[in-house]
Amino acid sequence: MKDRLLPYWLLIPAFIIVLATTIYPLAYSFITSFRAWDLTKSRRPEGFVGLDNYIYAASESQFLNSLWVTFIFVITSVILTVILAMALALLLRRKGPMHTFTRIILILPFAMSPALIGVSYRFMFNPEFGVIANGLGAVFPALQGVPWLADPQLAMGILVLTDVWHWTPYMTFMCLGGLASIPRETEEAARIDGASNLRIIFGIILPQMRGVILVMAVLKTIFALKMFDQVVTLTGGGPGTSTETLAYFIFNVGFRWFDMGYASALAWILTAIMMFISIWYVRMLLSERKMATA
Amino acid sequence: MRKTLSYLAERALLVLISIVVLFPIAWMFLTAFKQPRDAYSLSLNFEPTLQNFVTVFSDPWNLGSMVMNSVIVATVTVAIAVPCAALAAYSFSRFRVKGRKFLFFLILSTQFIPAVVIVLPFFLMFRQLDMLDTRFALIIVNLAIVTPFVIWMIKGFIDAIPTDSEEAAMIDGASRLRVIKDIVMPMAAPGIMTSSIFCFILTWNEFLFALILSRRDAVTLPVGLVSFRTERGDLWELMSAAGVMITVPIFIMALFIQKHFTRGMTAGAVK
Repeated sequence: MKDRLLPYWLLIPAFIIVLATTIYPLAYSFITSFRAWDLTKSRRPEGFVGLDNYIYAASESQFLNSLWVTFIFVITSVILTVILAMALALLLRRKGPMHTFTRIILILPFAMSPALIGVSYRFMFNPEFGVIANGLGAVFPALQGVPWLADPQLAMGILVLTDVWHWTPYMTFMCLGGLASIPRETEEAARIDGASNLRIIFGIILPQMRGVILVMAVLKTIFALKMFDQVVTLTGGGPGTSTETLAYFIFNVGFRWFDMGYASALAWILTAIMMFISIWYVRMLLSERKMATA
Repeated sequence: MRKTLSYLAERALLVLISIVVLFPIAWMFLTAFKQPRDAYSLSLNFEPTLQNFVTVFSDPWNLGSMVMNSVIVATVTVAIAVPCAALAAYSFSRFRVKGRKFLFFLILSTQFIPAVVIVLPFFLMFRQLDMLDTRFALIIVNLAIVTPFVIWMIKGFIDAIPTDSEEAAMIDGASRLRVIKDIVMPMAAPGIMTSSIFCFILTWNEFLFALILSRRDAVTLPVGLVSFRTERGDLWELMSAAGVMITVPIFIMALFIQKHFTRGMTAGAVK
């Protein structure tokens, strides 16, 4: 009797935490997203305004700009990270002391605080005394005195760079795990038949890694959509609004302008985008698995 | 000939990767030991000094209290999240209860919620309760991010433990709770250790919550970095010294779990 309820008892503490810390705030901000609430004017929420906050968003240029910035950031950082991670994993799966060393130090960028990564890249790309800015200027005279973070495109490029630097190691570990789980026989047989390395990689290894690559791409998309810290410490959204991602824009609306209703609506738009991607991801994964077992 | 060439190319590539990985970190460490005037030059020929560390730990920066906040917030978050998550992970792993798939999916899907959605209501709530700028507030919101993740990780580790010894002990009349305490948890210990350290790293590096919910008393290290941006400009040598304080403990922990890390990551993700 007691044993039958045990599975539930074990779940309860964790569930209380999850309910209180995520489900509750989610519901709260959902309701707030239909209200007007300027925190500088009133301590309590004002009246309901229906879909006004959402309708306002659809025509506000700063929001639309942040959507575009987020889109560019997500696409470039996901593609770069996934390709680099795959390449690194193929290189690092071999045995050797240098391979092991590289694998070990690879965890460091992942463990480094993203806020700190932003700060240190800002330092290194400072046109006057930044070590990378000066190093590039010395090697390529055309790059001398380039105001890296004051240029919209370059600032976005560096923002992507910090994110790729931070996440590629984690994704490489996932790839290494995936590579370890695929059988080596086909690969060895092809090698004996004299197939080239490229053919083995594209013809044999990558098709078997489809599932892992898919998981990586989706996880990275989610992480990229959430990315926030480096925007604050590297670019501050600038120059202008050229690196103002959706997450950063929501932060500004909520905690600089204290427009709680609008911030909640924007936050829910971001949530909806993420949910859409994750549902799509679960579906893809399930159909992938069916194909694998069939 | 071709063989040695590709051998050399591979080594060169590995060296290049190591440089890309280590250089930004090394540069920060070097800067932390430079005097202010050297910090703004690229010279490697400088007299190392500990002055920056002395400065950041004294008034007005008081990095000591931020270190304290970070340690307390991360430790308490781990101490609450990991035991609760371990029990839930065991239940998910071993029992086929009704609605289990849905519950597990519900927990996982919370990972896809942007942090800014979570922090908004908590900001309003803690403001109402006059609890902004407390470590308690930070611990509560950090639990939101960390708990689902740890359940997922520990479940991966428990799934990998064979059930034979558990069944044998139950036949001998041991209760389920006894089995969990005496058999499963010791076997899952490396996995739980890895998950705990992972959870510690996430909380330690957390920036958004601390930026919004703390002002002065509860400021953690990552947010503290921002305070070195002054009217006099960015004080890079002090930021670097603070950066060293943030990274050293985390790097030690990360290297400690490096081996288990790959396994924990992939077990959860691919299954």
